[in-house]
Amino acid sequence: MEKPIHMEYLLNELANIKVRNERQRRMRLDVPSKELPAVLELLKGRAGFMHLSAISCVDWIDENQFELVYHLWSNQVSTLVSAHTRIERDPGVYLSVYDLYKPAAFWERDIHEMYGVFFEGSPDMEKFILTEWDGPPPMRKEFDSEAWVNDHFDWQNYRPDWLQEIEQEGGGIAILPDEQRFSRKAEE
Amino acid sequence: MRAENYEPKQHPPSHEYELNFGPNHPGIEGNYALKVKLHGDTVVSARADAGYLHRGFEKLMEQRLWIQNIALVPRICVPDPSPMEVAYSMAVEQLCGLDVPERAQWLRVMQLEMSRITAHLFYFGGHAATTGMYNPMFWGVADRDLVLDLFEELTGGRVYCIYNMPGGVRRDIPEGFLDRLSRLLDYLESRLPEYDNLFFTNHVLINRAKGTGQMSQHQALEWAVTGPNLRATGLQCDVRRDDPYLVYDELEFDIPVEQGGDALARTLVRRSELQQSIRILRQIIQRLPSIKGPIRAPIPNPLAWNVPAGEAYVRLESSKGELGWYVVSNGGQKPYRVHVRGPSSMHAVQVLENLAKGSRLEDVAQIMFSLDACPPEVDR
Repeated sequence: MEKPIHMEYLLNELANIKVRNERQRRMRLDVPSKELPAVLELLKGRAGFMHLSAISCVDWIDENQFELVYHLWSNQVSTLVSAHTRIERDPGVYLSVYDLYKPAAFWERDIHEMYGVFFEGSPDMEKFILTEWDGPPPMRKEFDSEAWVNDHFDWQNYRPDWLQEIEQEGGGIAILPDEQRFSRKAEE
Repeated sequence: MRAENYEPKQHPPSHEYELNFGPNHPGIEGNYALKVKLHGDTVVSARADAGYLHRGFEKLMEQRLWIQNIALVPRICVPDPSPMEVAYSMAVEQLCGLDVPERAQWLRVMQLEMSRITAHLFYFGGHAATTGMYNPMFWGVADRDLVLDLFEELTGGRVYCIYNMPGGVRRDIPEGFLDRLSRLLDYLESRLPEYDNLFFTNHVLINRAKGTGQMSQHQALEWAVTGPNLRATGLQCDVRRDDPYLVYDELEFDIPVEQGGDALARTLVRRSELQQSIRILRQIIQRLPSIKGPIRAPIPNPLAWNVPAGEAYVRLESSKGELGWYVVSNGGQKPYRVHVRGPSSMHAVQVLENLAKGSRLEDVAQIMFSLDACPPEVDR
């Protein structure tokens, strides 16, 4: 029989980690950015955290930081660990964990595209979703999508000249004034 | 041209050529594309190309009130929208510390399992069509419509139910609903032998699907494959059992597995799952009348609702695999950050690219459909 794994002992091996057990089967780790790859390697090797569920990026613009969250699941200890780390927003460069987790390639590419964080060692940092996009990374907090639309697109002219001419002759698709409109009131 | 300005172009070897497979192609699910490099009709390499369906849900959600997002989230995955709204509601409840009444939890499980049936019926049709059989498509869509009728009766919406809200569900079941659901389950079960004759034991399917897009258990784990696609490689792994949510720990159901790891195994796993969903729904029909109580917890004024600061990661098992929702609040009236982990983010990109390599061109569509890849989950 396999020996049960005690996460507390495991995590005591590394200093500077804050552990919080928030709910059942959920654990939050706050890790300094330099130690995160080592923590992931320890978790994968010693506690069976084989499954990288996702990597999320949160833009804390007031603190000028990006927060990267690595969600890992282990069937051996039935726990989801969310490892949080913070990196500086400028220049926004971090290490890839592709050699530990293959799925990281997709999430790192996604974060690079949406937040502009560059992951050193990631196999593919090319554009994926925003192929013909030349603006700033759109998921950053300072990106105002409404202002971008107003700057870059023209409003459609819904009443061109030819339609106005038709309307003057009594046709067209425009909403007519009340007295010309068919209504139940007029029927009565 | 002067010699120093001449840059020779890198041409591919003359026996290889490139083919744009999609975004408008009958063998592609949704608006998605694969750039396929071919040698004869053997795929040398494939590269996924998304973005034709990008609607920016994660950005949109940051600009809307917590309650408004409920109407937005089901749109992320068209064939199986219900898990999205349940996951979002569960995340908001975790942030607020809301306790969902028991009856609402049972109703949610009922909705999730009905949605799983619709998604699987749709899937059979899609997979059959890529092997050249169109009848299962018509049958699957027609039978799915009967479940959608019940959705309409229960929620008012056929595909996008928008039935959940943080705290519970919007309505209780109408009178006689459980009887009609029970009759529908009987009907679906009586249809399964006919599906077997037409589709699951048909040599057209078996000859085409056996050995196509095969992956080993080791590969599946390495590529973070989840859900029925992982269970088709022989691993009994299911979020409903490993990390139970709602009332799944009170329900009896099996986790079907197949050993092949190929397109055929993936279809057969889903066929068994359909039976398990029917089994779960039968238990719900039995238990639901005895569970009394409210269907939602009281929530503050939803138009001026400051959700406490914090974060929540919710996992649940959608019809395609593990669905993850990461929701962050900074105490404001709108979400600070929402991140959706659709299972197809893995299946439609890395897994598909790897499985397509070495297969033949006519099997690419089948591999994609057999993985149940859902492009809207990739594009979000």
